[in-house]
Amino acid sequence: MISLKNFTFSYKNGDEPKLNRVNINVNAGQFVLVCGATGGGKSTLLKALVGLVPHFTGGTASGIRLVDGIDFSRAMPHDSAHLIGFVNQQPEGAFVADTVLEELAFALEQLAITRDEMIRRVDMALAATGLSELRDRKLTELSGGQQQRVAIAAALSAGQKILILDEPTSALDPAAATELLEFIFNLCRTQSITAIIAEHRIERLIGLVDSVIVVNSDGTVSQGTPATQLANFKFVPPLIEMAHLMKWPEVLLSIDQAAERFALSKPATPKRIAHLPLGEQVVLAENVCVDYGSIRAVDRVSLSTKRGEIIAITGENGSGKTSLLWALQGSGIRTEGSISIAGQDPAKLSPTARLAVVTMVPQQAADLLFLPSLGEELTESDQVADAQTSSTSRIFEQFSGRVDPAIHPRDLSSGQQLSLVLAMQLAKDASVVLLDEPTRGLDYATKRQVAQVLRDLAAKGKCVIFASHDVEFIAQSADRVTQLEAGRIIADQPVEQALEYRGDNALASQVAQITKLPGVIALQQLVADD
Amino acid sequence: MVKLLASKMHPSTWWVFAISLAVVAGTATNIVQTTSIAASSVLLILLFRENAPWARSLKFYLLLALAVVVIRVLFRIVFSFSKPTDDILMNLPSFELNFGLGAIGLLGDVSAAALNGALLDGSRLAAIILAIAVANTLANPRKLLKSAPGALYEIATSVSVAINLAPQLIESFARVKRARGLRGKGAKTSTLNGLLIPVLEDTLDRSLLLAASMDARGFGRKSTQSKGELLFARLLGLQALLAITVGVFTLLSGFSPAAALVLLLVGLVTSLISVRITSRRNTRTSISRTARTWVDFAVLASCAAGLALNFSTAVSLF
Repeated sequence: MISLKNFTFSYKNGDEPKLNRVNINVNAGQFVLVCGATGGGKSTLLKALVGLVPHFTGGTASGIRLVDGIDFSRAMPHDSAHLIGFVNQQPEGAFVADTVLEELAFALEQLAITRDEMIRRVDMALAATGLSELRDRKLTELSGGQQQRVAIAAALSAGQKILILDEPTSALDPAAATELLEFIFNLCRTQSITAIIAEHRIERLIGLVDSVIVVNSDGTVSQGTPATQLANFKFVPPLIEMAHLMKWPEVLLSIDQAAERFALSKPATPKRIAHLPLGEQVVLAENVCVDYGSIRAVDRVSLSTKRGEIIAITGENGSGKTSLLWALQGSGIRTEGSISIAGQDPAKLSPTARLAVVTMVPQQAADLLFLPSLGEELTESDQVADAQTSSTSRIFEQFSGRVDPAIHPRDLSSGQQLSLVLAMQLAKDASVVLLDEPTRGLDYATKRQVAQVLRDLAAKGKCVIFASHDVEFIAQSADRVTQLEAGRIIADQPVEQALEYRGDNALASQVAQITKLPGVIALQQLVADD
Repeated sequence: MVKLLASKMHPSTWWVFAISLAVVAGTATNIVQTTSIAASSVLLILLFRENAPWARSLKFYLLLALAVVVIRVLFRIVFSFSKPTDDILMNLPSFELNFGLGAIGLLGDVSAAALNGALLDGSRLAAIILAIAVANTLANPRKLLKSAPGALYEIATSVSVAINLAPQLIESFARVKRARGLRGKGAKTSTLNGLLIPVLEDTLDRSLLLAASMDARGFGRKSTQSKGELLFARLLGLQALLAITVGVFTLLSGFSPAAALVLLLVGLVTSLISVRITSRRNTRTSISRTARTWVDFAVLASCAAGLALNFSTAVSLF
């Protein structure tokens, strides 16, 4: 249905190719997962399939792109728009219209479909995606999950048979993410759509896909069945890691299979999660409210944390996580309530004095970067933090390895940018570190390093508070989980309780679902002591 | 009720209205006229604006208008234009700069007439800015884009993407400013770089993302049209441009209003024909039909009447 033959792409002539002699072929009706390391070229591969590479990225490409048997190697993306629907990482940034109806009609308008036929097809697409009741709504009024669905419906409204999605779940909470992926899976099966999807959180998809494409860091690409591909893949979810750990002969691709297998095996008694001894209280928030006009984003939240503690704040999109973090940091809105961090109200401190008490890594981490090279950012950060020379770069290398200091920060991958900002903020050595979605777009290996750094911080007596949707990351790092719903705290539990297996627990981690043991949520609990 | 009617108005009607208002402001001869145009523009925006991203930029238009007036007056004070015969309001110490190209007098006497003139000039520009703000904040740019004729489709799209940029910039600025506080002050942390670079980067990223997404969804597809037809349309367009330029020139030079009118009409008609022909090249359809209603026609008619009145008084003054 769609294939690349001998496709090579590099940003500059003489640079190492981003895609190196790629040969892939996806048959009609297949559901295909694309995975690879952070910044490793997954998006580039998808854009090459759509035709956006090289026309919208710059650089030079060679090779053949075939769609539905037609050679589109030199064609612009709009030439194959009737065959391929493409959904970006941030659908809200790619919307062209105001309302759901107009957004769905956009592609049809470009293809010059008559108005009556257009309305018929839009209604069909709406019905197929379960969006009929949202037909006349404004796009800005929709939730993140609904926006993603609209983007998918819009990509398929002209009868496109190929759907290409770039990390569609990265901004969604676990329930919405699972729902969306099942929705795409059903589209493939019922409408015989060919779907190609790039995703970091592989665990959500391995049970559903027909084939897996791995993009390696040297630009080469391999394609194969999920079991063979993931057995050798470095960045694997707990489910696969578990097979390695328990020395099971083959890789199991679904939670249910693994749970059956685990029930048969005789594992050692699981260990308890090791929590650090806690120090004195460092954050005390009482009845904090945040209002935007008439909308109450955070509603009477009280929170108390101690030194050495790592707290995860979870909750659906729009439940007030980000607003709460900014209020704790001190520069965000706080309508009511009191906050004390290490005995001081952060809102009353000057921005510079605040940094000595509390630092934060915001969701769009790249907003903090503006110097012309990585090296300058690192040395300036040491100065600002009043820290020893190259202490920032040492933290940075812990996440990202050695990176050429002459590189422009904008040319770093989004994962590397996040690592840089994280390093800059950690170098400031504040008592409290706040992070908003610290693992967005990171692969498993990098996530594990981030979790390790957070634990190191806690060991040094810092308190870490982060907002996240990422259950597996929370299982690796947090001590306590605070759940928000519509701005209120609905649960505040130790992590083993929050993520453990219960019939209705949407937050249960993979290990919890496989072992079904109370209080067992992370792999390290199953590792036998040496 | 009135608000509902206003919200149903065709976006192009808002633009015609705003441009008419700007033309009248441009030919205004006293401060009462310019301030009343500015005030009514602001009032209209306050009355009819909806809760949409493009409707939130009034504050910035007001600041811009104020800055224009202030700069205009300051310039008049600094570069002394007052004649010694005028009644003098302020007597500032005067300087003379001489670069060998004749002397430039700075500061010195400031007369009431000079200040008045500066205020009128400034307020005229401010009124024009606020008149355009009416269209920019009240007309939905996306609806406007949809009603543009096919030949102008690509241009209309770039224009409305550019208009959309202003509120996006404001949002990015707020976000980046907040993020900068997290970074802390260093030796190289200049305010300009720290704000501009992330904001520009953000804007470029968004624009590229939007452009890529639009192209991937078929934007920019064209049908084949014979080269002869295209050449003919282009020549017509060129001819229309010439006719309009010469027409405006004759009108402004006051040489022959009748000839100017004929030239302008010829230019208008040929440009319409040219647009009509090239529109056939574009094979697009539209799902929404933004029809003009009686409200639009009433507003358009009153615009025409107002402009005619304005020009007839302007001509009679000559």
